[in-house]
Amino acid sequence: MDPLIYILDIIVFVGIFAIVALSLNLEYGFAGLGNFGKVAFFLTGAYTYALLSQIGLPFFLCLIIAALISASIGFLISLSALRLREDYLAIVTLTFGEILRLVVKAEHWIAGGVWGITMPSAISWAGASPRMMAAANIGLVYFCLILGFILVQLVSNSPYGRVLRAIREDETAAEALGKDRFKYKAQAFMLGSGLAGLGGGLFAQYLRFIDPYMFLPTVTFSVWIMVIIGGPANNWGALLGATLVELFSRGTRILKDYLLVPIDPNNLQYILFGLLIVFILLYRPQGLLKESQVKTKALEVISRWKKHS
Amino acid sequence: MEEALLRIREIRKNFGGLRAVDGVSLDVAAGSTTGLVGPNGSGKTTLFNIVFGIHKADKGSVYFNDESISHLAPHEVYARGLVNAFQLPRLFYRLTVLDNMLLAARGHKGDSFVNSLALRQEWQEQEMKLADKAMELLELLELDHLSLHPAAELSGGQRKLLEIGRALVSEPTLLLLDEPAAGINPNLGRRIFEKIETFRQKGLSFFIIEHRVEILLEFAHWIYVMDKGKIAVEGKPEEIVNNPTFYQVYFGEA
Amino acid sequence: MGERLPLVIYFLSMVNWAQVLFNSSVTGCIYLISAVGLTLTYGLSKFPNFAHAEFMTLGAYAGYFLADQLGLGFPSAFVAAFIASGILGALSYRGIFQPLAKRGASLIHLMVAAIGLGFVIRHFVGELWGWSPRSFKVTWSAFDIGIVRVSDLWLWLIFAALAMAGLMHLLLTKTKIGKAIRGTSSNPELALASGVNINRVTLVTWLVGAALAGIAGLFRGAGTRLSPMLGWDILLPTFAVTILGGIGSFYGAIAAAFIIGLAENIGVVFLTSFGISTEYRMAIAFLILIITLILRPGGLARMFR
Ligand SMILES: Nc1ncnc2c1ncn2[C@@H]1O[C@H](COP(=O)(O)OP(=O)(O)OP(=O)(O)O)[C@@H](O)[C@H]1O
Ligand SMILES: [Mg+2]
Repeated sequence: MDPLIYILDIIVFVGIFAIVALSLNLEYGFAGLGNFGKVAFFLTGAYTYALLSQIGLPFFLCLIIAALISASIGFLISLSALRLREDYLAIVTLTFGEILRLVVKAEHWIAGGVWGITMPSAISWAGASPRMMAAANIGLVYFCLILGFILVQLVSNSPYGRVLRAIREDETAAEALGKDRFKYKAQAFMLGSGLAGLGGGLFAQYLRFIDPYMFLPTVTFSVWIMVIIGGPANNWGALLGATLVELFSRGTRILKDYLLVPIDPNNLQYILFGLLIVFILLYRPQGLLKESQVKTKALEVISRWKKHS
Repeated sequence: MEEALLRIREIRKNFGGLRAVDGVSLDVAAGSTTGLVGPNGSGKTTLFNIVFGIHKADKGSVYFNDESISHLAPHEVYARGLVNAFQLPRLFYRLTVLDNMLLAARGHKGDSFVNSLALRQEWQEQEMKLADKAMELLELLELDHLSLHPAAELSGGQRKLLEIGRALVSEPTLLLLDEPAAGINPNLGRRIFEKIETFRQKGLSFFIIEHRVEILLEFAHWIYVMDKGKIAVEGKPEEIVNNPTFYQVYFGEA
Repeated sequence: MGERLPLVIYFLSMVNWAQVLFNSSVTGCIYLISAVGLTLTYGLSKFPNFAHAEFMTLGAYAGYFLADQLGLGFPSAFVAAFIASGILGALSYRGIFQPLAKRGASLIHLMVAAIGLGFVIRHFVGELWGWSPRSFKVTWSAFDIGIVRVSDLWLWLIFAALAMAGLMHLLLTKTKIGKAIRGTSSNPELALASGVNINRVTLVTWLVGAALAGIAGLFRGAGTRLSPMLGWDILLPTFAVTILGGIGSFYGAIAAAFIIGLAENIGVVFLTSFGISTEYRMAIAFLILIITLILRPGGLARMFR
């Protein structure tokens, strides 16, 4: 395989999963919501994209609608689930992901069931080489990533983001200071689901083929590793985590293919991932980058006060 | 007597078989500082929690500005101008002292998702004004040098101070303070009450639980003495000090 | 739907309901054996251990290793499953969950660690035995009791579940450690004050719970086939039993296991008669799980106190 393509391929995947990691970081890192069914919203985005692109909608519309539908499903889930205790929320979201996968697997009429679904290429022009195609995909994915990153940065460095963090710390106290915790949690969940849906749409767009086996709970778990390694409540941390995890998983494949290590790369990857996450939770639970401060103009005021005294 | 801002009627609350509050009725006059004293476990905090909507009463009702607030969630109670400072501080420990203060601000435009994106200019300006106000209060509470430290780094007494400061930021009509002077050095405790008095003169009302009765006698206009979930005595401070029941309830003397 | 109705009724009238009932008991027995450990560790350690799935998987493969690969015969599989999973459970608690809890890990961190541990074990099994499914060599003789077709594996399973229920009942009500398990689960402070060694109680619970999970995995593997996903495939139904029964409640789990077993098997009959894919068999337990959590998170436990 063309090594340049291989590298471009890695870059695309880093971008797609960075978007999903940002979405989990918003839900978990900032708002403290343990969404263990992230893959459900990734799946929703991917399948929405696939079905819409098959009926010939332009790709940007497909992406937008994919994000919107994921966000709406996130909203519906949040209505009942966000009132639950942390561990119950985890179990409910995890189960929801499995139900969705069961549905797309069993209902052949939706999207080919176990056989999966192929879709036309969104980005294509006459005489495009695979390299140019990959480069174009990078452009699209990173355009979305930058937009998503700006959005989460703006949100987390605003009074709104401060409220989300407060709810994570002590929801009763936040409620006592006038914050409607359910409203905030539902919004964060919706926004996170929308972003994950966007990531799913880009995933489908790039691969041009999806099947239910791509949406196993392992996807959710990988995204959790990204957020926890990078450092929750830090958007740069989510980007860092996504990059590290993706490079790491490619690394194990290289180990197998080029260095001929006699162990299945998939097994090796997940064994190491599992050990790594347990290790991090034990010895560096705050992740690599520490929580970012809420940056607003209030900080300027403080530095002025500091000078006076 | 002035009109009542807060009216509590026949409130009852059981925890399992335990009667924490047993038919309490009382009024808090607008513009007053009203005290609530009583031995440990007499149900004072529980009563506050019911007023504030954290617990639901088994029976009885609470009126604030003549509106029933018995069935409201805490954030709705807050929205009506009634704010509570907890006996055991409930801070946002991983956020800075400043963030803790700013979170209490009333009507912050940037608190809503849409406005946090759409009205950046406006909320940034508001944010600066609020930060100024927060710093003034923090200075008074001798916490200003810690403004950018996480609340988790505060000592026990400082946490208590921040809990009160946070409640003051919210510009309430009526403030429920649960033992504001507990765990704070006596001098500062007095100064907090003096500050409370200046706020009161600006129009706020206070309903305060306090074990340091001598301070309360000085600043309160009306005092309720609670015992075993009931109001045992009530009256002006000078009447209370002369009431034998008060001593009996509080010090176990006849 | 309208024209299908007579067909459905005809179909339902042809169903051997005694057989459905027997199958429900079989399903329920597996879920019960696997849920006991989950519900007790959840009650004591206060977090859902997602790696419980892999305790089952490892048990099944350990049994397979001894019985088939070393050729020691099927009964040896029980010993292997019990010991291997039991040790794994105790090690997991001592090596990961107890240290995490000591460092003040949040509930979410404990859950993520459990998922991480599950991945390690699952892929370790995948590396040692491969991802393609395997089956036990033994064949089970099937015979009829009245109108119900049974196999000796299923009779063994029912016997094992009854024996386990009896032993657990004795353990929980008659022995010091069993009373301590129940006491600690409902009121840790009180148990601590009364001189119970919580660490030891919890360790024993993890050991026994995981060992039973291994047995459940073994039955599942012997009845169907072995794959590294074996435990994961029945983890969520096991959670359904745990939640419906009430977390930490052994007696609740017994009732819940049979309710879920019935719901699944009757559900399959209806799914087939309405011409819906039987892939949804699992979804029945999933839905019960979600609905219980949302409407009645306490489960049935209240009725069994
Ligand atoms: N959430 C609860 N669950 C069960 N019992 C409670 C709860 N909250 C309070 N109680 C009980 O209700 C009674 C009254 O408690 P409360 O906190 O109102 O007392 P208090 O007057 O504020 O005492 P203190 O002066 O010590 O703060 C106590 O016996 C207490 O144990
Ligand atoms: Mg109190």
